[in-house]
Amino acid sequence: MAVLRAHGIDARLPAGFEGRIFRRAAAHGSVSRPVAHFATFPLPAGVGDFGNGAVTAMGPDDVLVVLFEYGPESVGTALFARQGMPTSLEPGHFSPITLRRGLGGQSGTQWFFVEQGRPFTLYAVLGSHAKRFALLPRLNSLLGNLVVAPVGEPAS
Amino acid sequence: MLALVVVDTVCVLLLAVLVAGLLRSHADILRALHSLGAGVGDPAERERQRDHGTGDRSGPLRIGPALAPNRNATAVYDVVGVSPDGDALSVSATAGPGNTLLVFLSSGCTTCAGIWRSLAPGSGQALPAGLRVVVVTKGSEHESPDEVRRVAPPGTTVVMSSQAWSDYEVPGSPFFVLVDTAEGRRSGEGVANHLSQVVQLVERARADGGDRTERDRAHLDGKEREAHNDRLLRRAGVLPGDPSLYPTRLEDVFAGDAAPGAHGPATLPR
Repeated sequence: MAVLRAHGIDARLPAGFEGRIFRRAAAHGSVSRPVAHFATFPLPAGVGDFGNGAVTAMGPDDVLVVLFEYGPESVGTALFARQGMPTSLEPGHFSPITLRRGLGGQSGTQWFFVEQGRPFTLYAVLGSHAKRFALLPRLNSLLGNLVVAPVGEPAS
Repeated sequence: MLALVVVDTVCVLLLAVLVAGLLRSHADILRALHSLGAGVGDPAERERQRDHGTGDRSGPLRIGPALAPNRNATAVYDVVGVSPDGDALSVSATAGPGNTLLVFLSSGCTTCAGIWRSLAPGSGQALPAGLRVVVVTKGSEHESPDEVRRVAPPGTTVVMSSQAWSDYEVPGSPFFVLVDTAEGRRSGEGVANHLSQVVQLVERARADGGDRTERDRAHLDGKEREAHNDRLLRRAGVLPGDPSLYPTRLEDVFAGDAAPGAHGPATLPR
């Protein structure tokens, strides 16, 4: 099982998954935040924060997961009221209209939450809404292996 | 007269047993010579035949100088490391519909410089369409990320990972490993000084069945089909004991909002 660890995010990747954890170069005085991409298909170079450039490469049996961290000012806002990262999603959580870029047959879900004092959004895309029952165990096997370290601490 | 016939028959039977014993002994000797690499149909000769596209295909195709005979030439590993920009990166060599070519290069070697240039779009040295190319350099303890960034063509996936060099037992650079993603094994490997040699390797592997379509595989039968199905399930992350292999409701089997003919939770017999 491959292990990816950077920017306080620790991912033990189940078989068939690949991933990237990175921060974009800060521009114009802005502060860049960690982003993590995990996929069951080859992640192209230069994928957008929320999978732009990757979802078009997905097949119907593929899964894409994005973990995107927001600034600490988001903690305590209504959007980030949920405490804790979802570790197991269900078929009813997915809808084709949740996609940031609606591609035929795909399905998505998005969650905003605070984990270890850090505000994140989790965005997951399934290659086929019709296959969500079959794809979810694979996606959940990844979510169960993601660990976020508290602010300022490396993930274990 | 009868006694003579009986004695003659016994002699013939004894001789037949003797000949059978000699043939078996001969076969044992040939097998022993094979295992020592010095018999008729020398394994080394089979290796050479395979390199030239003939002979059996128990291992990957080879290009370039001979590699150590006792190396693990079939196992496939994820490539885990960092990008030249410092991103934590894990590349699955078995992900995706097409095959994967792992290109082991260094930023400093003269021969590698030509390969780096050949990988750039518009270099005139095109690799077959659908082939995923991943360049692997040693980690930052051996390579300068700035140098790697300088020579890496834009848009190319580059992973800096000394572990991958160790996993794939890379003897030196440039070294190439062609992975059959559907089978989850190496279909070719070796040293090449020019990308054109690698193109030939990919085409040979494809012609040799490395790129068989799913339709071809659907015609497998018996144990081959079972093994193929197991590989597909493993690739999909479904391992032995996975709950999806033991459905308890019709909804677990029929992906959709309702199972055929079902108007509420239905239970499958165990």
